[in-house]
Formats: sequence, C-alpha cells, structure tokens
Amino acid sequence: MRPIFRCFVMFLRQISKDGMLYASLAAPLLAGFAFRFGIPAAEAALCGYFGKAAILSEYYLLFDLFLAVMTPYIVCFVSSLVMLTEYDENMTSYMAVTPVGKRGYIVSRLVFPAVISIFASVIIMIIFSLTVWSAPILLITCALSSLLSIAVSLLLVSFSHNRVEGMALGKLTGIILMGLPVPFFLFSGVQYLFSILPSFWIAKLSVEDNYLYAIPALLTSFLWMWVLYGRFVKKLS
Amino acid sequence: MRIGKLLMGDVHFQFKYGFYFIYFLFTILYIGLLFAFPESWRQKAAILMIFSDPAAMGLYFMGAIVLFEKSERVLDSIAVSPVKPLEYVLSKLCSIGIISTVVSLAIGIPAGIVTNPITFILGVFLCSCMFSAVGLIIACKTTTLNQFVLATIPAEILINIPAIIWLFWYKESWLLIHPGVSMIVLCAQSGGAFPALIFLFLWTALFVFIACGAVNKMLKSVGGVKL
Repeated sequence: MRPIFRCFVMFLRQISKDGMLYASLAAPLLAGFAFRFGIPAAEAALCGYFGKAAILSEYYLLFDLFLAVMTPYIVCFVSSLVMLTEYDENMTSYMAVTPVGKRGYIVSRLVFPAVISIFASVIIMIIFSLTVWSAPILLITCALSSLLSIAVSLLLVSFSHNRVEGMALGKLTGIILMGLPVPFFLFSGVQYLFSILPSFWIAKLSVEDNYLYAIPALLTSFLWMWVLYGRFVKKLS
Repeated sequence: MRIGKLLMGDVHFQFKYGFYFIYFLFTILYIGLLFAFPESWRQKAAILMIFSDPAAMGLYFMGAIVLFEKSERVLDSIAVSPVKPLEYVLSKLCSIGIISTVVSLAIGIPAGIVTNPITFILGVFLCSCMFSAVGLIIACKTTTLNQFVLATIPAEILINIPAIIWLFWYKESWLLIHPGVSMIVLCAQSGGAFPALIFLFLWTALFVFIACGAVNKMLKSVGGVKL
C-alpha cells in the first residue's frame, strides 16, 4: 500500500505544480455558485422572455445531478490527462514494473482521487443543490457518480494511444453522461435503450427516489470498469 | 507549394486521430438535439452550439496537437526545415477551420440559420482561426495538457461570456467590437454584418500575428538549445 500512497502523493505534487489541483478544487465551487444562483436567474429571464410560468424549474433535479457528477468527473478528467501524458512519455510502463504495479497505478491515479471526490461532491451538493435531497440518496448518488467517473477515465486512457486521441475521446466521453437527462424526457420503455449507461440508473435513482436502482447503477459501472481495465492492462503489455 | 503540403499533413493528422469521426458523431447529436428543442429556441440554440463547439474546437485541441508534436520531435524537424512560422500557423488554423466550417454548415442548414452562406462561412472560419490562434499561443508556452487546459479558461471566459450576454440579453451595437459577438452577428445574419466582419478579421489577424511570434520563439528553442 505504501508505494501506491507514494505514487498518489507524486500525482498530487504534479498537479499542484501545474496549478490544476487548485483549479479542480475551485471549478466545482464556481460551478456550484453558477448553478445555485445563475439557473434561477436564467429561469426568471427565460420565463419573462417566452411568457411562460416555468421552463427550467421542472429540471432543477437534473441540474443537481450534473452538479453531483461534476466534481468526480473533473477530478478523474484531470487524472486522465496526467495518465495520458505519462503514457506518451513511457512513464506508465515503468510504473507497471515497480512495486506499484498496473493495478496500483490505477488505484493511485483514479481510485484515490475518486474516493476523495465523493466527499467533495457531497459538500458541494449540500451547499449548492437546487432541490431537497435525503442524506442516503445524496450519499449513494455521489458514490455512484465517482464510480461512473472512474469508468469514463478508463475509457479515455484505454482507447487512446496518445494525448491527441485522448483529448478527442475526451469530448466523446461526455456522451456517457447522456443517461442523466433520459428519465426526464423519455417516459416510455424507449428509455431503457440507455440502460447500459450507469448515468441513466443514477438519474432513475434520484427521480424515482428508489434505492433499488442503485443495483443496476453499480452493476453497469463495474461492467464498464472491468471491460475497460482489461483493455488498459492489454494496452500496457 | 509548402503550405499546401503542410495543410495536407495536418488534415491527414486530424483524420488519423479521429477529429473527423468525432465531429461526424457530434454533428448528428447536435442536429438531433436541435430538433428536440421547441422551434422558437432552435435558432439561438444552433448559434450557441456552433459558437461553443465547432468554432472553438481549435482552443480545445491545439494544446494536445502541439504537445504531441513536441514529444514526437516533429517540431525539431520543422525547426530545421525551410517552413516559416506563418506557414506553420496558417496550416494549423486552416486545417481546423475546414472542420469547423463544414460542421457548422451541417448544423446551421437544418436549423435554418444559413440565409447568407458567405457571411456565415466567413464568420465561422475567421472565428475558428481566432480560437485556434489563441490555442496555439497558449500551447507554445505550456508543457503539460493540464497547464494548457487551465490556461485556456480565462480565454474562453473572455471570448464566450460577452457573446452569450449579447445573444440573450444585451444587444448594444458597441459590443460588435468583441470577436465573439462579431461571429454571432455574422452567423445570425442580423444587422451590422460588415463592421462585424471587419472587427473579427482584425482580431483574427492580431492573434495570428501573436501566434507567429510565439511559434517562432518555440521553434528557436526546441531541443533545449536556443537557436
């Protein structure tokens, strides 16, 4: 465990030198401010412009879901960029043959940051959420969001061969979050076409306030991680 | 012609690393989203989509492209070749400008905002070149992707926020001096297209000039030795 901790400290040192550590701490706070105060203001302006009673307010829960996912997503995206740079500079292969190992490398670069981001996400949600959340649903949502973010990062680092492909794929990984708005806009059985996306089940869990949806969310997240981790290991060997 | 070959090389590079494929998928996604919106929202949504993604793609990708070229020692070869910094910059800007313009047209035509194709194409192409030039200036001065992403945030805020404010709320003519607003005026085909075109051209030329200086400085210092 000690080499993995050292590897994690190395990662923290690297992103603090870039200033990215502080930026990734500040970004969810700024986004939280923007969501908490900007969206109700935009709602008032839009309602005035289009002459309607409510436009965005029906989707405040959706904004909250994006806010919950944002912190782990940003943290894991930063980790992915570091991992892509390390892969380009052949550092990853060197790490894999040290006591850290391939699994330890993933733990230090993705799992540790994701676990920390759960607590950050909970705090951000308590301060800035637009709707009222029960404590268990909030905790489960934030934990599942961080699992989803690990899967997104693994997708990025396992399929790209260099940082250019990584950035291009980074744009596409946002599609994994497309499951979040699905339960808000599709009400028929068609919505289950998105059931492979963990984000869909996270949204279902919050919309229907049903803990059972945590099971498919967990299973789909682990399925993504299992497949992508296998691919990442194959890429390194 | 050197610039033609550089341009072909950059287009090939972008094709190989999936830029065309990704923007093909995004175009389908954006068009699908546009038709999911009520008709009254469609025009503004299309302009916002074009301005925030295809037109601004250079600012997002330039860091990865330049840093990759640095790590693969492509810049070392360019530094000792007869390629001039202006040719290098124009090739990068035009290659990305082509994707931006094609994708913007593909989104704009079904949204019904392309009433004057010439001003629309000029607006998107110049705006794309300006974003790419800003990205290139930042990329020349950074060493990691994280540094690049971080450094682009102020540029994004300075270019995007006034343009979004103009699009939704504050339509004062003096804001035409802002490059983002100029691009939106050209795409929305609203009044003031000629001054908007002049201002956008001047901003683009200014950033291209600064980018040439930054590339020149970078090419003279690749490999750890200042030439």
